[in-house]
Amino acid sequence: MGVFEFMVGRKKQTPGELAKERLKVVLVHDRLKVNPEVLEMIKSELLLVISRRLDVDEQNMQISLARESGWDTIQANVPIKRQKVSFEWDPPSHPNANDGVMRGKIHLEEDE
Amino acid sequence: MDSRIITITSGKGGVGKTTTTANLGTALAMQGKKVAVVDADIGLRNLDAILGLENRIVYDLVDVVEGQCRLRQALIKDRRTPSLFLLPAAQTRDKNAVNSVQMEQLCQQLRQEFDFVLIDSPAGIEQGFRNAIVGADEIVIVANPEMASVRDADRIIGLVEAAGKAEPRLILNRLRPEMVRRGDMMDVADVLEVLGIGLLGIVPEDEMIIIATNKGEPAVYDKSSRAGRAYLSAAQRIMGEEVPLEDMVESPSLLERFRRMLGFGPAMPDEKRLRSQSS
Repeated sequence: MGVFEFMVGRKKQTPGELAKERLKVVLVHDRLKVNPEVLEMIKSELLLVISRRLDVDEQNMQISLARESGWDTIQANVPIKRQKVSFEWDPPSHPNANDGVMRGKIHLEEDE
Repeated sequence: MDSRIITITSGKGGVGKTTTTANLGTALAMQGKKVAVVDADIGLRNLDAILGLENRIVYDLVDVVEGQCRLRQALIKDRRTPSLFLLPAAQTRDKNAVNSVQMEQLCQQLRQEFDFVLIDSPAGIEQGFRNAIVGADEIVIVANPEMASVRDADRIIGLVEAAGKAEPRLILNRLRPEMVRRGDMMDVADVLEVLGIGLLGIVPEDEMIIIATNKGEPAVYDKSSRAGRAYLSAAQRIMGEEVPLEDMVESPSLLERFRRMLGFGPAMPDEKRLRSQSS
């Protein structure tokens, strides 16, 4: 890192590095044959599942494909709205019912 | 005869497949091997011109496949390197003039006569490409260090794998060391990381290639050509010799280092990483 770079406190990505990053993304898309439409479908399905339990910030959710240390990966970043989460066993004294299934309720409250 | 059939391919056009075929073929023949270079780019023949043999074509690959002539009649002997032979492509036919079965039979025939058969594949992923790889024991992929070429190379790697062939090896062609040094071009390690295949050689961008093509004399004949020397090393690696990779991205001058220390220009390339890739 040069002295001026250090003083400015940022490291600019070179065109070579940029090409590599762009290639990594485009190759994962090519290999998996996942187009933006499919990615959008995955995103809405994920939202459906997660929002059953948590109140998520849909607007700021991000989903992307990437190649990380030799693996093609899908990465989802789902911000959760600030809230209190509590859990109440049902029945309270006996979380494990006779059939071995745990039952309970999740309570979510907006954090003021 | 223990012969090897090697197809040179790339997906993208214009990255140097034909130049690579001509130079590797010539270099292998210069090492005393009996070599046939086959132009499988039917309808767009060029390997003959790069080798300077364009005036000596009587019969071509399609004539052989269709039984219009015998294989030996179509093979053109290179007078400069007598163990090098060219099987030219037809110029007036299209890629569908030959099918995969015929191509495989032709490869078997060539195998009887030669130590090495190098097949110059057409660009693309259609029938012409499939014909070019069907009889191959090994695949060499030529790519340039730029987005479109590396992306197409990745696609080809997938198709080669699907065809049940061994993992291809890479010739990284037209590398511009000065641009890599400035950070304006992907370096060898970047491309290898993205493609995940082994390296056969690095060939720098070199004006001598154009001069060589103009003369019809492959650059490997010219000891002063950096690209020619790189092809010679790659040919030696094909023969199983351990040849160290030339450090293309050599250390910058003292003035340049000082300039960069002051922040004028990109950070120094990771030389250690480059070396470790080359070992």
